Amino acid sequence: MARTKFKPSKLTLFIGLFLTGCIFLLLPQNVTSKVNFAFIDIFDYFLNMGSSAQKPRQNSPGSYVSRQEYLRLYTAYTNLEAQLAEQKKQFEKLSKIRLTEPDPSTGLIIAKVVNRKEHQFIINRGSADGLQTGQYVLGDNAVIGLIEQVSDDISSVRLISSSACKLPIKISSPEINSYFNGTIQGDDKSGARILNIPQKYKIKAGNNVYAAEKAGLLSSMRIIGRISKCTPGAKSAVVWDIEVKPVYDFENITDVAVVVIKSPEFK
Amino acid sequence: MKWFRFSLVILAATVIGAGALMDVISITEQHIKPSLLLMLLVYFAINCNSYDAIICCFSIGLAADITGNLIGPYFISFGVIGTALTQVRKFILLKKTGQQAFAIFLTGISIYLLAIIIMKFKTSGSGAPTFANAAAVSMYSAILWFLLKIPVETLGKWLGVGVYRFGNSLSEPRA
Repeated sequence: MARTKFKPSKLTLFIGLFLTGCIFLLLPQNVTSKVNFAFIDIFDYFLNMGSSAQKPRQNSPGSYVSRQEYLRLYTAYTNLEAQLAEQKKQFEKLSKIRLTEPDPSTGLIIAKVVNRKEHQFIINRGSADGLQTGQYVLGDNAVIGLIEQVSDDISSVRLISSSACKLPIKISSPEINSYFNGTIQGDDKSGARILNIPQKYKIKAGNNVYAAEKAGLLSSMRIIGRISKCTPGAKSAVVWDIEVKPVYDFENITDVAVVVIKSPEFK
Repeated sequence: MKWFRFSLVILAATVIGAGALMDVISITEQHIKPSLLLMLLVYFAINCNSYDAIICCFSIGLAADITGNLIGPYFISFGVIGTALTQVRKFILLKKTGQQAFAIFLTGISIYLLAIIIMKFKTSGSGAPTFANAAAVSMYSAILWFLLKIPVETLGKWLGVGVYRFGNSLSEPRA
């Protein structure tokens, strides 16, 4: 007996596929992201073919250091400077209270960048290593973004150059030995902008921008970049238009560290 | 239509499109790259019979979603706009390369616009391309079509698309 082959009409096919799309859309993002991560996991080699991450690094001869090494040292120096200033302040004001800053090295998870997309990194660590959404990601000690999605063994990092990445910051003002609070947001190009800083604050190009401390996520300030442009606001005359250049060129970053602060255990 | 070969081609286009190799031909500091999947969508929508074209459009949408952050927005937008294009070609033949390039540009803008709207519902726009970015990608893809038309047509023949005999497509059933 001949079997009848099931072939829906064009309209039925279209509606069926459309409804499938709606179901995909309604599924939770942490479920569907497993498919995205699986794709990256499987085709990792082909996706990174020809990227700067696969090229071997070259050492500069003589007593000179490479730009990458210079940036690493400069970042370490500015972070130390910020920590020193912060500690001086704390010693002056809270000399009788014991400092409870955790050792940062105990809360860092080193991860490798396995793929890079527009304003996004995919790293080879996941929830199995203690990663969670919202954690800060460092590239050689400078904050470069936040953890956006996490699966068991792979995660995505939203870089600070993305407009979807917003975080609290502090702008250094060495002239008055103080910091101004603000919020940074990516400009969807290669840098970021600082929003709604009043012009009464003495800020100028060259000042350092730090990620502000955040309970449970970042225990001390970490550098993000430097102000590259600071002009009176085009939309509002009372605020600055501030552009920030990150310390690092994201193209050259191959390894990152995720700040994972362990909550203290009370007995 | 040879579906196994089709899935291989789509997989290859997805990996190449999402990989670092495309950075070689990216332009401006926003790294504008052409969309291979968009070009394939327009090619299949124009050359396949409308039944196969619907399946092709949704499959290409799924491939576009896999390289992004969400599953669904591109699946729907590629499917809906691609299916609409299969209806348009009943009135406009879209045989000339210039017409096809223009179709790629318009289809690209419509697809990204619809995808941006859908993404806004799901994640308040996080990770969605900007409209200017979408327009630039569509324009770049349309321009690149003048170079890629012949290779894509050759690939299409290997897939059994656009092969005609005695005036009828091989895969189009007689009315």
